[in-house]
Amino acid sequence: MSVNIPNSCLRALDAISLECPDECLGRGVPAAVLQFFDFFSTTKQKVALRIVSNVFNGYAEEDGPTAMEAVPALCNLLQSSDKTILESAISCLALVAAGASGNAEHLSKLCETNVVEATMALMDNEGWKSLRDDTLTAILELLKNLASVSEKAVKSLFELNFCELLKQMITYYSSSHHDNDKVQMLVELIYQLMLPPETSDQQTKLVAANRNAIMGQTTYKDQLASIVALIAQISKSAAQSSVCYSCIVVIGSIVELSTPNFLTELQKTANISSFLTCLLARKNRHILFQALKISRTLLEKDQEFFFETFTKEGVRHAIDAISSQDKNSILKSKRKNSMKERCFCFDLESSLTDKACRVENNVVMELAEEINKSFFLVKGSKKSAHRFGFSLKSVRDFFARSLTPSAENQDKGKQLSHLSRRLLPDELQVYSTFEFVQSGSIRYLTDYLSNAEYCNANPELQSRLQKFAHLALTMSNDGSTKPLGILVGKLLDTLHMCYDTFPVMLSDEQCTRESTMIPLRYPETQETTSLELKFRRSKKDKELFNYTAVLSVKLFSTPQAIEPVIFPRVFIDPETSHKNSNQVKEANRIMKLDERNGLRFFYNGTILNPSTTFLESILLLMSKGEADILIDPSFWDDEHCITYRKRNKSNELSFKSYYNTHLGKLPGDLDGSDLLDMLKVLEGINHCSYQLLMNGQIEKFAEGTLQDLDDLKVAVYPLPRHQFMSSLLTNKLELQMQDVLFEDGFIPSWCVYLVETCPFLLPFDTRWKYFCLTAHRSFMTDQINSSANQVNSSPDQVSSHSDQVKSPALAKKYRVTRSAILEGAVSMMTNHGPSSRIVEVEFEGEVGTGRGPTFEFYTTVSHELQRSGLGMWRGENSEDGFIHAHFGLFPKPWSSSSALLRGVDFSNVLQKFKLLGHLVARAVLDGRILDIPLSKAFYKVLLEQELDIYDIPSFDPELGKTVIEFQALVRRKKFLETSSRTSNPSADLSYKNVKLEDLCLDFTLPGNPEYELVPRGSEKMVTLESLEEYVSLVVDATVKSGIAKQIEAFKSGINEVLALKTLKMFTEEEMERILCGEQDAWASTNLQDHIEFEHGFDMSSPSIITFLEILREFGREEQRAFIQFTTGAPQLPLGGLASLDPKLTVVRKQCDGNVDDELPSVNTCRHFIKLPPYSSKDIMRRKLKYAITEGLGSFHLS
Amino acid sequence: MSSSSSFPTSRFPFAAGAGAPGGGGGGSSVRPWGSSGGTSVSSSGKRIQKELMDLNASDCSAGPKGDNLYHWLSTIIGPEGTPYEGGIFFLDIVFPPDYPFKPPMVTFKTRIYHCNIDPAGKVHLDILKDGWSPAFTISKVLLAIKDVISNPDPYTPLVMSISRQYLTDRTKHDEIAAEWTMRFAR
Repeated sequence: MSVNIPNSCLRALDAISLECPDECLGRGVPAAVLQFFDFFSTTKQKVALRIVSNVFNGYAEEDGPTAMEAVPALCNLLQSSDKTILESAISCLALVAAGASGNAEHLSKLCETNVVEATMALMDNEGWKSLRDDTLTAILELLKNLASVSEKAVKSLFELNFCELLKQMITYYSSSHHDNDKVQMLVELIYQLMLPPETSDQQTKLVAANRNAIMGQTTYKDQLASIVALIAQISKSAAQSSVCYSCIVVIGSIVELSTPNFLTELQKTANISSFLTCLLARKNRHILFQALKISRTLLEKDQEFFFETFTKEGVRHAIDAISSQDKNSILKSKRKNSMKERCFCFDLESSLTDKACRVENNVVMELAEEINKSFFLVKGSKKSAHRFGFSLKSVRDFFARSLTPSAENQDKGKQLSHLSRRLLPDELQVYSTFEFVQSGSIRYLTDYLSNAEYCNANPELQSRLQKFAHLALTMSNDGSTKPLGILVGKLLDTLHMCYDTFPVMLSDEQCTRESTMIPLRYPETQETTSLELKFRRSKKDKELFNYTAVLSVKLFSTPQAIEPVIFPRVFIDPETSHKNSNQVKEANRIMKLDERNGLRFFYNGTILNPSTTFLESILLLMSKGEADILIDPSFWDDEHCITYRKRNKSNELSFKSYYNTHLGKLPGDLDGSDLLDMLKVLEGINHCSYQLLMNGQIEKFAEGTLQDLDDLKVAVYPLPRHQFMSSLLTNKLELQMQDVLFEDGFIPSWCVYLVETCPFLLPFDTRWKYFCLTAHRSFMTDQINSSANQVNSSPDQVSSHSDQVKSPALAKKYRVTRSAILEGAVSMMTNHGPSSRIVEVEFEGEVGTGRGPTFEFYTTVSHELQRSGLGMWRGENSEDGFIHAHFGLFPKPWSSSSALLRGVDFSNVLQKFKLLGHLVARAVLDGRILDIPLSKAFYKVLLEQELDIYDIPSFDPELGKTVIEFQALVRRKKFLETSSRTSNPSADLSYKNVKLEDLCLDFTLPGNPEYELVPRGSEKMVTLESLEEYVSLVVDATVKSGIAKQIEAFKSGINEVLALKTLKMFTEEEMERILCGEQDAWASTNLQDHIEFEHGFDMSSPSIITFLEILREFGREEQRAFIQFTTGAPQLPLGGLASLDPKLTVVRKQCDGNVDDELPSVNTCRHFIKLPPYSSKDIMRRKLKYAITEGLGSFHLS
Repeated sequence: MSSSSSFPTSRFPFAAGAGAPGGGGGGSSVRPWGSSGGTSVSSSGKRIQKELMDLNASDCSAGPKGDNLYHWLSTIIGPEGTPYEGGIFFLDIVFPPDYPFKPPMVTFKTRIYHCNIDPAGKVHLDILKDGWSPAFTISKVLLAIKDVISNPDPYTPLVMSISRQYLTDRTKHDEIAAEWTMRFAR
């Protein structure tokens, strides 16, 4: 038989199957095509599978039997080693299952085959990570369909430890990828494992079978228990109510199936009650309803036990609160919402859809009341429902007392330490989050630790913080968890109850961006979405002009910003209106808009917060406090009516911050802002733990409890930063950022609030994403006309934009000479620094262009700035002409009196710092990398944190240590003088048994004799009496006034390019990562994952295997050289090799003569390495090393 | 004090670190002793001058090498009762410009068989590193070095092989040490 005939047939079928799939199915095409599958060539096999999938796409139910015929053949294909065939086979199977989903018989037939085993084998060992996204979706869909009918399928899934796999997947998608759809899908799959949807007779049998299968075996139970814990966590921190709802339904059905014993066990491992408390604090009635149902089931199963736990964990309190809700308020909130509310009871419980949609507030209330009546009231005869531990109560009493201004201050410190000694390490763990919150300790603790109005004296606050830090951080009971960690954990748990405070607003569900790393946005010039606002004068207002106009405003416009635009058009000044001179009028107009005169804006009669965007205010008012807001497409076409009125004193409201008014109430008379404040305080304590503990040590020395100055050192183990991160808020912000309108300025105010005030709650990746999406709005060039831009209709706006429209994506090129690179850099930055486009560099006389030379430019300039003799940095000069600072570069202090020192002009130093500022800002925006080891303290300065004496050791340990010791001595002297217990105060005030005078110190800066701390300082010697002055002057010169001008120049350099304050959301370490790239160039494991091999090479080529071996054997310096050779910069950008764009690619170099004589060459812009196929590893290593060491310093065509 | 030509430097090249006169940490702020008109000597200069005065009263021999106040030379006599007895060891001392906040750099110029002193002459001494404090003086440093010569600390060695030998075969160790002293330090 000729091979051509079947081939032509296939081609024909391919076309036909697209046109009329039903016909093809009826005639048994799939089975026929698959019958001779093995005889086809690979390409034909793919065509065959395409035909099958075409045919199966949405087939009619009556064709089911025919479809089933093809199943065994498809299952066989699952063993195929070819990935594409495998994937198409799976999707075909998924299509079969989807078509048969209505028919249990067919599906169970499908289960008879080895589908389940085969797919599981595919997914095992992290196999699911390498599957394509739609394949994975298909598999999950398939398994879901199977599990919904077949008991056997469920059983084999459990046997294959599917729960573990699910757990891995859920964790992966929820925490690192923020893929809500996937999580939702996985949770639904678990639901299917628990309970099939239909409840026909046959199905009830199946339910029973399922139940037996699951509950009968202890191993399954353990699997389930662990999955419940995970789902509860997901549910608490899910950003969308729909995900949360699915989770809670799944938990509900597991609870329904479980035995009381299992449930008490579950309470211990997963703390279900605390989870219920969290959910009962939400507003969404579907979630409330389900949570109440679970509570009822739990109480029904084991009343005794769960009555206890519910009381302890706060479920009871929450149910009480729901049932006693003011009925009027419910009626009010039932007012017709203009925003359509989504019902979550979608496909998860198809039979419940119509019923659940009727879940109204009163249903929820009735259920709550019922639970109350039947379970709580019977037992709880005594009124005081909440029992608190003795110490929590005493803590509260203590703080209440200590905060009253008149309180006696004597033994407070002792009392506190006594209390906290018991509270922090021992009892905090025992008490539930609810009890802790309900006791009100949080608020008192916050007041106690922050500078609340009760506490005027700063030293007092300082010592409070010290004592607290000491207790919370150094006293770790058996070294496992620090009290601070427990405290923070409880607070973050409480934060879950504030779900509704952070409403995620999505403009369009379909159109979301993927959540992986995203490039920085540059100012967009294309049309952005805008909001149509119709302004109208309020009926009550008679003074103002009636200016009725429709303005389309930017999404980020606030009433505050619009006010100056509207104001001149509506305001009639009684005096100026008589005058004719236009100019006078102009002048007056501008003057008039001040504190006394202004406008108020209203939407539907509600006054708008001047600093909240119109868009957000309107959405919030429309949605009536729902936590998930999905904007209807018609919203954008509508004109939204805004009325304005003259501002007068009577309706003057204070809008201090969004969170004073909007954060929800929590139990214990606490609101969300208290919670965030407390977290902020604790984070501050953690961040400054070294300072606080060191200060404590100094105090001890001063008081004489510590004798030896050598014992001043402290060992600090602050909490790792990730313990402060809130998964709920991270998820919410991630989801919000997935919205396409986010970069246009559709940023709810809670996002801004969180990022600006509590950045520690969010992981770095999330903040970096936020920065990338918002940075284009902090470009300085844009800020100038941003106020004009807020209203699109203003006429001058068109012209201001026109010059940018020409070539928005084009980079600016700048040519520099290698020999005068610093001068070139200065003039480049002055000209192009503030540009809103990418700036690229070419070297004079070299042909290289693009990324590579630009990266090298940044590297070279940052090296040049480290030359000794520039007068920029502290530290030792070494013979190679560069400053070597072991603890990072820190500015060298310059005395204000000397402008010229050793031939260095101070103004030149300032110019260099300004250049550094430009470079830093430009590098952040353009994704360049600097190779300059700045000290942590310098990054602190960059982030606008104040430096003090305790920062000196971080860049100059010797000086820092001595200065701190001097400081301790000063304190001791003061203590002795005030306590007056010793008659001779200076008796033991020597510095390590040496009289201070013998140290021979004068009033000049250590190591810098020209810097006189006082006039004629070189003649004034340091004595015990003048030590205090000396210490404060040295500290001031080192970290404050001595470097103030340099820092100012540096900051102004940054500020000319982007607003410095936008960087404040990062920590010192993170700034270093952003600027200097990844320090750890590559972990040996993932090397091949991020390098591509083309043009004659693939992963298995012998040359490549040796090449990778050589790379792994490279030391730190060689790695740097290699990266510089291939990319132009010695460090990899943020994210390492994985984020290199384009990917590092190795291609085979064509060689004419002897291969071993050739050298590898690179294209730094495209990250290409042309590697000759050397004959041995030794030669390759030698040639590579030669290339990476010698090939630096110029760009020529290869 | 003998001139530097007697140093076996040609046979034993030392690391460049502290070698160059006036170099080291000094940079351009190192001033020749007494050269700048005498009116203002920097804080570290005053301190070094004071130490020089105090030293003259003690039994340590140390002093500026030439007219550079920041670069000293010192001799240590091998302690009696040790294999180093009878040796004269030359040391190079370089004061950093921010002395006394930073420790002086001390290097042996004479070769010595000792587990805490490496072939480049670097001494392992806590007070010359993290343990430094402005309360120490050069005479205390020299005393500490003398003490280390008499009592080697084989548990924090710079030369592993010598420390191992010190612990396992003390006689042999002492033999070689004495031989080196004869060869290089006389």
